[in-house]
Amino acid sequence: MANAFVAAFEILSFGAIIVLIVLGLGIIASMMGIFNFAQGEFVLLGAYITYLAYAKGLPIWAGMVAAPFVVGALGFVLEALIIRRFYAAPIVAMLGTYALGLIIREAVRGLIGGFYLTVPEPIGGSIDIGAMHISAWRFTIIVITLLVMAGCYLLLSRTSFGLRMRATLENPSLARASGISTPLMYGATFAFGSALAGLAGALIVPVFSLYADLGLRFLIQGFVAVMVGGVGSFIGPVAGAGVIGTLSAALPWVMAPVVADVLVFVLAIVFIKFRPQGLIAGKGV
Amino acid sequence: MPKSMSVVREAIAGDEADDAMVERVAAGQAKEQVKAGRKVLPIVEGVVLVAALLAPLVLQDYLTVFATRVIILALFALSFDLVWGYAGIMSFGQALFFGSAGYGVALLARDLDITNIFLVLPAGTLIGLTFALLLGGFLLLGRHPSSVIFVSLGTLTGSYAADRLARGWYYLGGQNGIPSIAPMSLGGYEFTEGPAFYYLVLGILVVVYLLCRFLVRSQFGLALAGLRENEQRIAFFGYKAQHLKAIIFAIGGAIAGLAGSLYAFHEGFVWPNMVGVVVSTQVVLYVLFGGSGTLIGAVIGTVIVEGVSFWLSDNYRDIWPIILGLLLLLVILFRPLGLISFVLGERERVGSFGARPKGTEKETEKEKRNAAP
Repeated sequence: MANAFVAAFEILSFGAIIVLIVLGLGIIASMMGIFNFAQGEFVLLGAYITYLAYAKGLPIWAGMVAAPFVVGALGFVLEALIIRRFYAAPIVAMLGTYALGLIIREAVRGLIGGFYLTVPEPIGGSIDIGAMHISAWRFTIIVITLLVMAGCYLLLSRTSFGLRMRATLENPSLARASGISTPLMYGATFAFGSALAGLAGALIVPVFSLYADLGLRFLIQGFVAVMVGGVGSFIGPVAGAGVIGTLSAALPWVMAPVVADVLVFVLAIVFIKFRPQGLIAGKGV
Repeated sequence: MPKSMSVVREAIAGDEADDAMVERVAAGQAKEQVKAGRKVLPIVEGVVLVAALLAPLVLQDYLTVFATRVIILALFALSFDLVWGYAGIMSFGQALFFGSAGYGVALLARDLDITNIFLVLPAGTLIGLTFALLLGGFLLLGRHPSSVIFVSLGTLTGSYAADRLARGWYYLGGQNGIPSIAPMSLGGYEFTEGPAFYYLVLGILVVVYLLCRFLVRSQFGLALAGLRENEQRIAFFGYKAQHLKAIIFAIGGAIAGLAGSLYAFHEGFVWPNMVGVVVSTQVVLYVLFGGSGTLIGAVIGTVIVEGVSFWLSDNYRDIWPIILGLLLLLVILFRPLGLISFVLGERERVGSFGARPKGTEKETEKEKRNAAP
């Protein structure tokens, strides 16, 4: 019983981490039609900023709060300078963002060297429920993920900002005609997606420690999750991330990890092949 | 002169003579452009070939070994260029075929003691072909045409999954790969690193290059170019676009397999990175740098990227990848056709198909008229 509970918690917390990472990726892919290869590096940057704050003696919380804002601002600048040119061509956008990601990743690698740097958890210790112990920080990640998810959903569905964002996605020329500044909306959307990636990086760095290929590790999983969930809505990629995250955490409990690892990808690709619109089809929130 | 006038008149019967005059002048200019443009590509190819032939004579031994590696990678780049530059299929997983062929021949050499060049190279090519047929068939064929995004992410995922598999599978050596593969042999002769291996690889590259050149200039190549520019229109013409794509994907996979088996024997070991995302994206870099859609562009891109990286790696090892990323970004933003587009015009890049006109004015003008949008 206790083991099953711990396993369930592990699966849930890994699922939450994947959801957190995919949120930003999914918003950018759904709302802008761009598969952002630099997203993993935004995660890495968020992690690096948190590490930097810790190394400078600041409280880790400060780094975690700063990370989404710094990465979001960077995303806004990059969108205005570079990403903006790619909207017409999805493949070129992939290559361009890949080049961006390469620059950021190698720059961070140059800064931290080939090391694995650890950052302590801001909330240490464990939560005890009877005889079972679960990590307090992982539990916090789950809670924050739920809050961020709910916040994003409300932002997109209930605010005028979200409405304008969706209008820009669905019909840019009509949105422009209605007086919405679409370039600004694109910039804001990209910045928002980047900020979410920065937040994800900041929150997971105590779990995975900081190394240059941290973002790369989640990037492909994130892409697969977005495709499985369905591009075009907010809720689709989140659902996909839940499925992929849960599967990749759960399968190693029942089979050899190597097989499980590959099987998740194979299953996902086969699923997308036969259901290209993904789990949740359609546009909207 | 009168002949040309009459041709133009026929073509635009009823038009003013002035217009005919203008057209004739334009046609003459086009002809000159064709004439001038026709020379560039063979010159570039010739220069590269001569440089490649002379390289081992002037290079030191360790540089010849390096040059051999570059030539093998150029062969690999050629396979990606066929798939992306000519058919417009974004394959982010080309290393899957490269690496699995490498692993295949490494296993042949390790477990079965087969190193005969006439066995291992066809085996590697076949492995690449088979995997490409399977993956390409799955991703590209089917009732509904697959989206570009799906194909690129599907190949990327395939390559990543293969990497993970190779890392975790004990039989394939896990993280360490398969070390110390026996050298490739021909009768009693063993190909070890050096000029002999270099010329062998160069010869293979030239043969494959010529085959590809023939392929892309054929009717099949014409259909491929149409596919890249406007897939729907090609489908409306009655071509089976998906089949064409699967075929070129398989051919690309076979060439990648050939390159992979050569690479395995040249380096003497294979390791998981060889099937993974790193090598897959590296080959994309080569081709984008050099210029996709021209075969020689892929070769030149490989030589430049690898050469500069080798040259800088002593002093600037840390910042070289950053510079590479910046250069790549600049190329994508401002030179989407790659470095080759500095010397090669758009018209020549696209090339002409079928038999060359004999150069009579009449045919040149016809060509001009057909080429006019």
